[in-house]
Amino acid sequence: MTISRRDVLLGGAAAAALAPIASRAEASEVVIGIIYPFSGASAQQGVDARKAYETALDVINGDHDFELPLAKGEGLPGLGGAKIRLVFADHQGDPQKGRGETERLITQDKVCAVIGTYHSAVAVTVSQVCERYQVPFLSADNSSPSLHRRGLKFYFRPAAHDEMFSAAMFDFFDAMKKKGTKIETLALFHEDTIFGTDSGNAQAKLAGERGYKIAADIKYRNNSPSLSAEVQQLKAANADVLMPSSYTTDGILLVKTMAELGYKPNAIVAQDAGFSEKALYDAVGDKLEGVISRGSFSLDLAAKRPMVGKINALFKERSGKDLNDLTSREFMGLIVMADAINRAKSTDGDKIREALVLTDIPGEQTIMPWKRVKFDEMGQNNDADPVLLQYVGGKFVTIFPPQAAIADAIWPMK
Amino acid sequence: MLTAETIIQSLASGLLMGLLYGLIAVGLALIFGLMDVVNFAHGEFLMIAMYATFFLFGFFALDPLLSAPLVAAALFVFGAVVYLLIVRFAVRAKANAGMVQIFSTFGLAIVMRGLAQFFFTPDYRSVTHSWLGGKTVSVAGIFLPQPQLMGAAVAIAAFGGLYFFINRTDFGRALEATREDAGAVALVGIDKNRVFALGWGLGAALVGLAGAIMAMFFYIYPDVGASFALISYVTVALGGFGSVFGAFAGGILVGLVEAVTALVLPPSLKSVGIYAVYLLVVFIRPRGLFGSM
Repeated sequence: MTISRRDVLLGGAAAAALAPIASRAEASEVVIGIIYPFSGASAQQGVDARKAYETALDVINGDHDFELPLAKGEGLPGLGGAKIRLVFADHQGDPQKGRGETERLITQDKVCAVIGTYHSAVAVTVSQVCERYQVPFLSADNSSPSLHRRGLKFYFRPAAHDEMFSAAMFDFFDAMKKKGTKIETLALFHEDTIFGTDSGNAQAKLAGERGYKIAADIKYRNNSPSLSAEVQQLKAANADVLMPSSYTTDGILLVKTMAELGYKPNAIVAQDAGFSEKALYDAVGDKLEGVISRGSFSLDLAAKRPMVGKINALFKERSGKDLNDLTSREFMGLIVMADAINRAKSTDGDKIREALVLTDIPGEQTIMPWKRVKFDEMGQNNDADPVLLQYVGGKFVTIFPPQAAIADAIWPMK
Repeated sequence: MLTAETIIQSLASGLLMGLLYGLIAVGLALIFGLMDVVNFAHGEFLMIAMYATFFLFGFFALDPLLSAPLVAAALFVFGAVVYLLIVRFAVRAKANAGMVQIFSTFGLAIVMRGLAQFFFTPDYRSVTHSWLGGKTVSVAGIFLPQPQLMGAAVAIAAFGGLYFFINRTDFGRALEATREDAGAVALVGIDKNRVFALGWGLGAALVGLAGAIMAMFFYIYPDVGASFALISYVTVALGGFGSVFGAFAGGILVGLVEAVTALVLPPSLKSVGIYAVYLLVVFIRPRGLFGSM
C-alpha cells in the first residue's frame, strides 16, 4: 500500500480531531520528537546523539536495575506501562530547517514533547515553534546562556549553560587561592566567533567581579595560518593561568606554537570545545600533561555511582564510544522528559509542562555530577554543577567540585 | 610590552612564515604567468600534499623530510593530469572563457574537499613525530622553530632552483616563449599542451613541497587549504601576477606585515595590515610590485 500525501493529511486531521480524546484515554505509546543534525558538517554529533537517546529509550522501555527514574519495570507506569517511541528529525544545523522539521514533528508525527538540538542557534527556532503549539521542549545539550531568558513557558534545560561553566572555573580558582596557590593574573585567549566571544566576555566579567587581574585578553582570528604573534603576547604577559576558548584546529596550533616559542604556562584552564576533543590530544597530548578543562560529565563518577559505568557500557555497545560531555546530557534529557510525562499521566502539553515544573530528581538518581534536577521559573536547572577535569597520564580525572572530585588538582601543571 | 625582544621575535617569526607563504604561492604565480589561469584549487593541492605526507608517515613511518621529494613528485603528476583532463578543455571554451576557467578549478576544489571529507573523514590529523617537529633553536631569547627554519631554507632553495631553471634551461626558455606567445611557439615545433602540462606539474610540485614541510607543524583536515589559499592569492597579487620572483617577495612582505600588524593592533585584525598594503599597491602600482604587463 502506498500512502499519498492526502492520506497523511486526512490521517493527521483525524488524529488532530481525536487528539483531546486520545490524550485522556490511556496511551499505549508515547511519541517524543528528537531533532538533531543527522547530515551536514555536524552529522557525527547527530549520529552519536541518536545512540544516546536509544540507550535511554532502552533503559526506560526495558526493565533495568538502576537508581534512575523509570529504569525499573517496563515503560511508563503512570500511563499504564505505555512504551515510548522516538521520532528522529534532521535539522542539518540550519535554524530554518529546524523550524520546519519541528512543525512536522508536532502536526504530523503528533509528538507530545521535543528534545534537541546540539546547535544553540537551532534551539532558538525549535523552542519558538514548540511554544506556539504548547508542546514542551527540552534543551538537552545547548549551552548558550540566552536560551532560557526569552520568557518561554515550554522551555526546559536540565544541564548547565556557559556562564555556569565559567563560574565553576572561578569557584575553582577561589578554592585554590584559599589553599595558598598564587592565582592573581589571567590570560584570556579566545577565538572570534560567537562561542569564543561569549566565553571571553563571561570570563572577563567574572574576573572583574572576583578580583583577578587580566594580564592579556587576546581575541584571535579562528583558523589562522599562524598564531606566533598571539602566543608571543601570551608569553610576554606570563599570567598565572592561561584560559583558552578554542576549537580543535586553533587549539592544536596554539599548543604547538607555545612549545616552539618556549612558553610554558603554570596552568591552562580551558573552555571545553577543542580541549575535550580526542584529535587534539592525539596531536599534542604529550605537551598537555595537567591541562584542565570544564565539562558536564565524567566517567570517574562510576567509582562512586556504579550505575554510571553500567549505562556507559550499554551506550558503548551501541556506539563503540564512551559517554562524553554531549551524549551524557542527551541521555539524561530523555530520562528527565519521560519522568515528567510519567508523572503527568498524560500526553497533553500543558500537563507535561506542569509536571516538568515540579521535577525534582536528586543528583544520585542521574548519571551526572549534578546536585539535582529542578527547574527555575525560566526552565533552567541551576543545580547542574559542571565539573573540571584534569588531563593526567593520558586520561581525564575529575578535580572539582569537591563532591565529584576523585583527586586533587596538580598545580602547576607537570 | 613592546620590547626589542618581542619586536625581533615578531620579525623573525614573520620572515619564516613569509618565506613559506612565498613557497605556497609560487605555483599559483607560475601557472597564472604561463597561461593566465587562476587555479582556485590551489589550497586543495596543498591539502592533498599534507594528507600524502601524513599517510606516508602513518603507513611507512616516513619522516616528512624524506617524503617531501616523493610528495612533490606525486603532486607533479597530479598537476599535469589536472591540466590534461580538466584545464585543457576549460581553456578551449568559445564563450565566457574566463568564467569557465574559474568554475572548472573552483569545482575541482569543491570536489577535492568533498572527496577528502568522505575518504579521510573530517577528523583533524597531524604528524605526531618527526625529526624536526617541536624542536626549536633559541638565540639570545629569540625562538626559531626548526620545521619553519627548514621551510625557509627549502623555500630559498626552491626559488633559486626555479630561477636557474627558467633562465638557464631549454625547457625554461620554452616555458617563457609559450607564455609570451602560445601561437608562435607552435611554429618552431613546441607543443604548447606539453609545456602547459609541465607548467601545471611544476606548480603543483612546489605546493607539494610546501605541504610536506607544513605537515611537520600544522594540523591536517579537508578544509586546511582555504586560509592558505587566500593568503596565496594576496601574495601573488601583491608580488605581481605571473611573476615568480614577485611571489617570493610578496610572501616575505605578507609574513612581515602580518607580524608587525599583530604587534600594534589586536591579533584578530592582523590580516588588516596585509590588505591595507595590498590596497596601497593597487593604487600606486596596479600590476603588483614585480608584475610586468
